[in-house]
Amino acid sequence: MTEPVSTPPADDTLVRIRGLTTVLGGRAVFDGLDMDIPRGRITAIMGASGTGKTTLLKHITGHMRADAGQILLDGENVAELPREQLYELREGIGYLFQNSALLTDYDVFENVAFPLRRHTRLPEVLIRNVVLMKLQAVGLRGAARLMPSELSGGMARRVALARAIVFDPMLILYDEPFVGLDPVALNQILLLIATLNRTLGITSVLVAHELSAVREIADHVQLLANGKVVAQGDPKTIADDGSPWTRQFFGGEADGPVPFQYPAVDFATELGFAGARP
Amino acid sequence: MNARRWGGSNVVTQTLAQIGACGLFLLTLLAAVPRSFQYFRETSRQLWFVGAMSLTIIMVCGLFVGMVLMLQLYHVLSIFGGTSASGMVVALSVYRELGPVVTALLFAGRAGTAITAEIGLMRATDQIAAMEMMAVDPIAYVATPRFLAGVVAMPLLCCVFCAMAVFGGHLVGVTWLGIDNGTFWSNMTAQVDLRTDIINGVLLKSLAFGAVVTLIAVYQGFATAATSEGVAHATTRTVVASSIAILALDFVLTAFLM
Repeated sequence: MTEPVSTPPADDTLVRIRGLTTVLGGRAVFDGLDMDIPRGRITAIMGASGTGKTTLLKHITGHMRADAGQILLDGENVAELPREQLYELREGIGYLFQNSALLTDYDVFENVAFPLRRHTRLPEVLIRNVVLMKLQAVGLRGAARLMPSELSGGMARRVALARAIVFDPMLILYDEPFVGLDPVALNQILLLIATLNRTLGITSVLVAHELSAVREIADHVQLLANGKVVAQGDPKTIADDGSPWTRQFFGGEADGPVPFQYPAVDFATELGFAGARP
Repeated sequence: MNARRWGGSNVVTQTLAQIGACGLFLLTLLAAVPRSFQYFRETSRQLWFVGAMSLTIIMVCGLFVGMVLMLQLYHVLSIFGGTSASGMVVALSVYRELGPVVTALLFAGRAGTAITAEIGLMRATDQIAAMEMMAVDPIAYVATPRFLAGVVAMPLLCCVFCAMAVFGGHLVGVTWLGIDNGTFWSNMTAQVDLRTDIINGVLLKSLAFGAVVTLIAVYQGFATAATSEGVAHATTRTVVASSIAILALDFVLTAFLM
């Protein structure tokens, strides 16, 4: 691929996370997390359920405040931005929800047009053209007048993707985009994520559990556990790096550094046999 | 916003916390009013939904309330030979109390629950979160248009209810029981005062009830737990809290306005 002629950005890191600490319900979800997300690449964030992957995405968009630490998105400290500037920043971010989160009152066309109508004063004909272009990109131009209730899971996710890219964002966050999809729909979403990244140079952050899918498209993988990044590297080789974390996660072992048992008091004590112990 | 974090086991403490949180939510709502003007289409859509779509139930209930009121009054007043005043008493009862209160209770049951359930489901299905991610303020786009629509729709619905109740009273009193048509209208127009009965009774009360019911409905929608059980509980809370608020506020307003 030919290198772009324009001057490359001074900083190759789009999202810089330092010392992120979040405590939810008395449990430290993040404990001084450091992470860099490079521009124009697909970064996959993986980890067992409950390790805070979705919470991390919400921190990046400023939807949720951390207890400590800093998130710099394109040089802006997300936590310190006032509401207007935060909303301005979010206009440059696309977010694909796990359940698509389409507005059920509106049809497919209006769902994709929603951000355009709210943030621009474009003439109707231009809005129509932009929306149809985005729907064509995800292969659903013919479904423009269907209601969300008439869509399959895969179609709904493609519509949500069209809506997420309607402003040609600098960053797209995908929250478990492959969950519940059949192989055909999964491959369609995979192809779309890769194509968007390649053709538009959009930085993509992908939260997913499917290593095979991640291997196909991601440039870099970060494995979360215990509130930190415990392993990172190339998706094709990370599973073989020998660390107990990667062995358990990618090997699918039930017990390991992430314990099978949820933290609890001693079982014998709970059953009332503690006194019988030597 | 969520009163549950106050966490008191005491019902009184929890209720006070809910009222406090609801008051803070009202301030947020009012602060978003200027921003919500850009969503005028959404406000008119909601006005159609909470106003025009509630017309049938309001009209039918107004008609029957007027009819039954006239029937009861006619039999009681006939003991004293005062049946000619029954039209006037129907009108005064409806304008001062029954009109605003019954309309508000019906409004809470029909539109209030729908608002809570809709917003609650929007939360449960991440639609509210999606709006925030798309840099659209959900308070200005979802909450305020519904609140404004409720405030505007309630006095109009109350007027329709009162008109239908008077019509129902006329139907039973004049057409069925034989009260003189001229007496029915002249007694009514002679005793009904524009300021005390129409402005204070119908308009002011229904405006206050509309604001309270819609505030409770919108607040419960936003404060609900994002689960199906949470939405069900929030909808119930909307009806219970609105009904209590309407009747308590009615007493306070009547005491001050009389």
